[in-house]
Amino acid sequence: MSTAAPLLAKDFKSDLKPIWCPGCGDFGVVAGLYRALAAIGRPPHEIAFVSGIGCSSRIPGYTTAYGFNTVHGRALPIAQGIKLARPELLVLCAGGDGDGFSIGGGHVPHAVRRNIDFTYIVMDNQVYGLTKGQLSPTSPKGLKTVTSVFGSIESPINPLLQVLSYGAGFVAQATPADMSGMTAILEEAIRYPGFAYVNVQSPCVTYGEDENDLKAHKTKMKSLSKMGHDPADYLKALELATHYGVELYTGVFYRNPNPPPTYDQQITERHAALAAGAPKRERVLDMFAQKP
Amino acid sequence: MALDFKKLTLQDALDLAILVEQEARERYEEFAYQMSTHATPAAADFFRLMMTYEAKHATQLAARREALFGSAAVRVNRNDLWDVEAPEYDEARAFMSAKSAMAVALEAERKAFRFFDDALHSITDANVRALFEELREDERHHEALVIEAISKQPDDAAGAQFEGDEPVAQ
Repeated sequence: MSTAAPLLAKDFKSDLKPIWCPGCGDFGVVAGLYRALAAIGRPPHEIAFVSGIGCSSRIPGYTTAYGFNTVHGRALPIAQGIKLARPELLVLCAGGDGDGFSIGGGHVPHAVRRNIDFTYIVMDNQVYGLTKGQLSPTSPKGLKTVTSVFGSIESPINPLLQVLSYGAGFVAQATPADMSGMTAILEEAIRYPGFAYVNVQSPCVTYGEDENDLKAHKTKMKSLSKMGHDPADYLKALELATHYGVELYTGVFYRNPNPPPTYDQQITERHAALAAGAPKRERVLDMFAQKP
Repeated sequence: MALDFKKLTLQDALDLAILVEQEARERYEEFAYQMSTHATPAAADFFRLMMTYEAKHATQLAARREALFGSAAVRVNRNDLWDVEAPEYDEARAFMSAKSAMAVALEAERKAFRFFDDALHSITDANVRALFEELREDERHHEALVIEAISKQPDDAAGAQFEGDEPVAQ
């Protein structure tokens, strides 16, 4: 009996070449994802990769997985729908900070609380890059952009704190400045049985700030595991997440040590339970029809 | 995963060296494409040239590996290394000059030299040591070649002087 050859990173690389600006952090993210997916070993045709709109949302097209570059901010509901319709698929969802936490922000708590088994990767660059550098929901206070020429007076959203407080079972942060660490985090997130969130600090080389580029990340990043953080400690994870935008912590903030049943598992079980006592499908209409 | 150089066999070391060259080849290919799409043909040409060198090195190493170990299964994989000789993604910039592109390659060669040099502190197997010493010297030689190529370039600061539009979303 022949066994299938192990999957390689190149098996997940599509013929479509990325057209991000040279130096963009997203190049590293997609390269890390190729290797993470190869390590997981699910073939590309068993993966559905959904994104919204923005530079980073181009990412499904650069993989050989089934991809769906949807509409702005709506990646999460579509990923949820795919997972419920086809629970056997490995579902990934990706986008930028604007897509996820501004126009799509209303979908985040519901995706988290339902605990549908998929991974949400946000490439957080603190700016709207595709539309030429406007203020985004994670832009730091004081940032000067074309829509905040005197500096932003808004406080940024804290994505890590948001998803943790909504009850996400897996929350991590990574940077392409540490390719090895980022790849390991992506793999761990995808393997987590439930909703997993990875905030990738992926700087914009064109509209971002120099002090926040990947070279700066190398000096600023602090590994949570090296700090001795226990990912099972939810309260500590919340405290660490409050430093978003100030400290660049990388690694797993929180991993639920006892992952609860996922929504998709419960739906499958309920269908099975209800099906046992249900009338035959061809008799259902009769229940509503007036017999003469 | 961190590599344990003490446990490397000659076969593993050769396979690792092939992966290093292949990764560098792929990165230069990506950079060449990026420069092509950003109307920077001189930098694209240089990255393409580097791509052919890295491909040649990978082929030469693969031939040695085959002669010594035939088709024995590869035990190291891509996740065992990142960016050993491949320039890092954030080294590329839109509208970079050929000279800036060469500076990127120079840093990549130096980085590879440091990798083999650092690894040699942990390697005890005589055959693996000999291979890594050879590869380290290769990197030093490549570094010299790139320095020579840079010296032939006219002084420029094309990246700094560029006053056109920023890259455009496509």
